[in-house]
Amino acid sequence: MKLKSTIGVASTLAVLVGAMIVWYTVTAATGWVSPARFPHPAETWQSFVAIATNGYGNGKLHQHVLNSLKLVAMGFGVAVLVGVPLGLLMGYSRKAEALLNPAFLLLRPIPPLAWIPLAIVWLGLEDASKVLVIFVAAFVPSVINSYAGVRQIEAPILEAADMLGIRGLTFVREVLVPGSLPSIFTGLRLSLQASWTTLVAAELIGALYGLGSILNQAAQDIYPAMILVAMIFVGLCGASTTWLLGELERRAMPWRRQWGAQ
Amino acid sequence: MSEITFTNVSRSFERDGNMFLAVDSVSLTVRDREFVAIVGPSGCGKTTCMRMAAGLEFPTAGQVTVSGKEVISPGPDRAVVFQQFALFPWKTVSENIDFGLRAKGLDEAERRRIVEHNIALMNLRGYETAFPHQLSGGMQQRVAIARAYALDPDVLLMDEPFGALDAQTRVVMQEELVKLARLNPRTVLFITHAVDEAVYLADRVVIMTSRPGKIKEILDVKAVRDAENWDQHSRIEDVMDLASFVHLRTRIWKSLREEHAGDDH
Repeated sequence: MKLKSTIGVASTLAVLVGAMIVWYTVTAATGWVSPARFPHPAETWQSFVAIATNGYGNGKLHQHVLNSLKLVAMGFGVAVLVGVPLGLLMGYSRKAEALLNPAFLLLRPIPPLAWIPLAIVWLGLEDASKVLVIFVAAFVPSVINSYAGVRQIEAPILEAADMLGIRGLTFVREVLVPGSLPSIFTGLRLSLQASWTTLVAAELIGALYGLGSILNQAAQDIYPAMILVAMIFVGLCGASTTWLLGELERRAMPWRRQWGAQ
Repeated sequence: MSEITFTNVSRSFERDGNMFLAVDSVSLTVRDREFVAIVGPSGCGKTTCMRMAAGLEFPTAGQVTVSGKEVISPGPDRAVVFQQFALFPWKTVSENIDFGLRAKGLDEAERRRIVEHNIALMNLRGYETAFPHQLSGGMQQRVAIARAYALDPDVLLMDEPFGALDAQTRVVMQEELVKLARLNPRTVLFITHAVDEAVYLADRVVIMTSRPGKIKEILDVKAVRDAENWDQHSRIEDVMDLASFVHLRTRIWKSLREEHAGDDH
């Protein structure tokens, strides 16, 4: 296990260093790619320092990052809090499924970004409209995968719970939820990805702060190095929140972890 | 007194718009503390019979009662040991055994006593905190049996509980079950397609016909077992060598073979 993770870290580092060398070679060292199209490593670093210390757009880097994180956390959080229970209910109750499934069949094919105009009409250009769009994007995968999770619980397990007299809240907490958990987490991962994608798109359309607003501003200023900085930070934010979710998943399902270790 | 009675029980299924009769007018009484095994060709409806006693399925005609009451739902008074074990993968061995006791509302000291007792009984000491998939199939099935025994049920319903085990493990489990059954007799309905197993374990063996499943004949194994004193042998192979065992087994085999021959037409 130790050895494996060491190899993992080493190969990640090697790829990063390799990419840096290639990047440096094709831009700064040889000039194959013009700096007007793609910035040098040094330029990018300077842009990073500039936005981190003096700010760019309407704020410093950490303000943009925190604002984006805040919107994602709110939209994703509400989507999960509403979506997972709703999905579990649809999976367990035929009535709830019959009632809600047609609505989902209609909603699913609508791209989350198609909600942006309506969100702006309803809530204006402020944060609220972005949270709404993120919510819509994150909601569907949470519901669908929780619903599928319940359906994946083997019939004998539900019958065993019935036979043992497990009812009500105990049944939900100790049978329905843990049984659906692998699929619920699949849904959360998809929801989180959808949240970041949607956030950046929503911020591109109009925002005071946020990583998307940097991209928008830098495009208008024709400032490729700053565009790259913003893109890198979108990637870092997405990757680190996904990693956090993975850690949570590992902790939430100890019975799976020990299986993997065998 | 906990008897299982089937009175003229039939069960049909709908498949692709056609009705299939799975169980055809079965009448059977499993007496208090009697161990009855049902054998029959696959698809003969023997599992359906067990599931109707469990309350997991219901007759389309006739009536199933346990302890005089019509079966309307599953319940801890009729513990089921499923063929595929059906343990909760997210619960440890102890938690799996304890789960039904919690639902019964027993206090913690009592529950701990019962869990420990059944863990010892089923030779699971040292595995209390293991998760089911860390155990072999035989051990998982012992947990499933411990979970059923812990409920202290009036009735034990077992659906080919050793079907998924390898031959050696199955023999060990069969010997253990005989010991438990003689030590603490309960009303047991045991479903199997293994003739040896049925004769070795049961007081009476019910032979079912191929679909639609009817009762073909019922053999009184206990009379022979007591007369020939099978229980003086603790090993299954010694019992299986006895002429009286071989005789019964052969009779059931012949009876079942007629059913399989019937399948070919």
